[in-house]
Amino acid sequence: MQEQVHTVSNSTTSRRHFIDLLLGASILGWLASIAYPVIRYLKPLPQTGATGPTRLTREETAKLEQDQFIIVPVSGQRVIVLQSQDQKLLAFSAKCTHEGCTVTYLPGQSVIWCPCHDGRYDLSGRVLSGPPPKPLPEYAVRRQPDGGIVISEERA
Amino acid sequence: MQSGGSRMEGLSFLKNEPDKNGAEPGRGLLGWVDRRYQVTPLLEFMRHKQVPLGSHWMGWYYLGGITMFFFIVQVVTGVLLLMYFQPGEATAYESIHFLTTKVPFGWLIRSVHSWSAHLMIISLTLHMFSTMMLKAYRPPRELTWVSGYLLFLITLGFGFSGYLLPWNKLAYFATTVGTNIVRSVPFLGDWLLLVLRGGQDVTINTLYRFFAAHVVILPLAFVGIISLHLLFIQRQGMAPPISAKVAPRGMKFFPSFALRDVLLWLACLMLLVTLAVFLPYGPGIPGMDWELGSKADAMAPAYAGIKPEWYFLWEYQLLKEFPPHLFGLEGPQVCLFLIAILLGIWAIIPWLDRRAARNKPSPAFSDFGWAAILFLVYLTLMGWDIGATGAGNDMSLVQRSARVCAWWTLAAGVVMIAFRSWWFEHRWFVLTGAALLQIALHGLMGISYLLAGAISAGLAIIVIAASYFMTSRPNETGTT
Repeated sequence: MQEQVHTVSNSTTSRRHFIDLLLGASILGWLASIAYPVIRYLKPLPQTGATGPTRLTREETAKLEQDQFIIVPVSGQRVIVLQSQDQKLLAFSAKCTHEGCTVTYLPGQSVIWCPCHDGRYDLSGRVLSGPPPKPLPEYAVRRQPDGGIVISEERA
Repeated sequence: MQSGGSRMEGLSFLKNEPDKNGAEPGRGLLGWVDRRYQVTPLLEFMRHKQVPLGSHWMGWYYLGGITMFFFIVQVVTGVLLLMYFQPGEATAYESIHFLTTKVPFGWLIRSVHSWSAHLMIISLTLHMFSTMMLKAYRPPRELTWVSGYLLFLITLGFGFSGYLLPWNKLAYFATTVGTNIVRSVPFLGDWLLLVLRGGQDVTINTLYRFFAAHVVILPLAFVGIISLHLLFIQRQGMAPPISAKVAPRGMKFFPSFALRDVLLWLACLMLLVTLAVFLPYGPGIPGMDWELGSKADAMAPAYAGIKPEWYFLWEYQLLKEFPPHLFGLEGPQVCLFLIAILLGIWAIIPWLDRRAARNKPSPAFSDFGWAAILFLVYLTLMGWDIGATGAGNDMSLVQRSARVCAWWTLAAGVVMIAFRSWWFEHRWFVLTGAALLQIALHGLMGISYLLAGAISAGLAIIVIAASYFMTSRPNETGTT
């Protein structure tokens, strides 16, 4: 009699245990089914917009002549186009590799400078001083026969 | 007598009502409510609530209330600002411009909101450090500390998210740098960055997300956690300092302490309004200046002298002190890791401080708090470029600035130690000493910040280990 009770209670325990397990798993599944759409909703869509080479407008070219540099979007990325002292055209990602601030060009020192944490790059994009961990990626820039300036995504 | 009677009339709900043990509840509105919701025990509890009195200074007990006062000001002025603010590429900056230039008293509301934000962070920081120094976090108040710590993080989140909303140039770069830091989080970094910014870069989508955080998510979280924080404090009362001689009877919370609170709140309101009226765009020091400036432009370069708010300056400076690469990781990653460890230690102090848990003085943890202050002050002063004036190239300016900041911090540290040994009778200064050594090595001798830190930390560990073995040996012989 006692033994019978024992087996009965044992099987109830394991059955309850099994049902608890099912319940736990379904609660997890239920939570996941709520969390997944929210997580997907929060992640922004990939950027759409113009891709491919960018040709500077007349105003942009004038600004480049005046300031020796200009920052323009190329395929959704900020790109700094600059004119070195020997009139050579160069283009780099304008996003500092340290914390992503927009860099600027110091024509007097021939240095690309990030004012946020004082990072300095030379005119081949290499880090001269400061905390940036990587060089600035370079972009291809060409002066076309008609005088237009074209920046393309492919690295020079 | 007459005046005494009328003074109590307004607080008549606090007067003794008939007994709660089944006796007739009072008449009037209170009786009506009490018959339905049985509030008498609650009133009884509040009537008996006391603030510990004794040999300790009571001033620290008011800082939490002051912080809450500034939070209430933030809610009220924030709601008023919401009525004019229009998030959007073509409207965010313009609506704030309109608010400050055209709307009657719009400048004042914005100014009060900005000043109150800064004052709230100041009072909250003082509140947190006083809690730390007085060891009020010791059991059974661990969760009060943790909830307060979360409120501190949320407040920093308020500051950071609110900063972007005017959509000006300064905000744009501050947010670019601030959000970029999450990229260093292992595995989740890139995803977190996308979710935080609503895209690869800071755009108007970032502003929408920050706006939602600033006006809905963070306030809800803040109100939820502060309710818990206050509930804990009401249930447990305020903690007397460990060594204080506490008087047998404290000060009644209602009305004595609460009225003092209200009086202080009035003083804070006067201070706030005076500052907001006479300095509507802040005191004009870097990191505490809310002149609108020019509109954010993704294609404009960052400009010289760009700085975050003063309470993030230490972090900004620490980022600058890390080399590009360290231990095979990128500098910012290691920096974030270090900050996470420091913040993590700060969060679990109640469980680390075993001596305070046994109601014994814990000089090492007091010293840790003071050392943390010196660490933050030195980095903040350097972030401010104190002393970087005059001619010279950038490197010599940085070194000159570090030297001036080091002298100031060292002087403050010496005064601090003298004051502590005289007033609090502190005798344990190993961590403060290590912090001062690091400052001297870096600022005066020109050793790199991290190397100076490593040398000082190493020495501190040796001293602590040596003193541990030296004090444990006599005990052993004493027991045998």
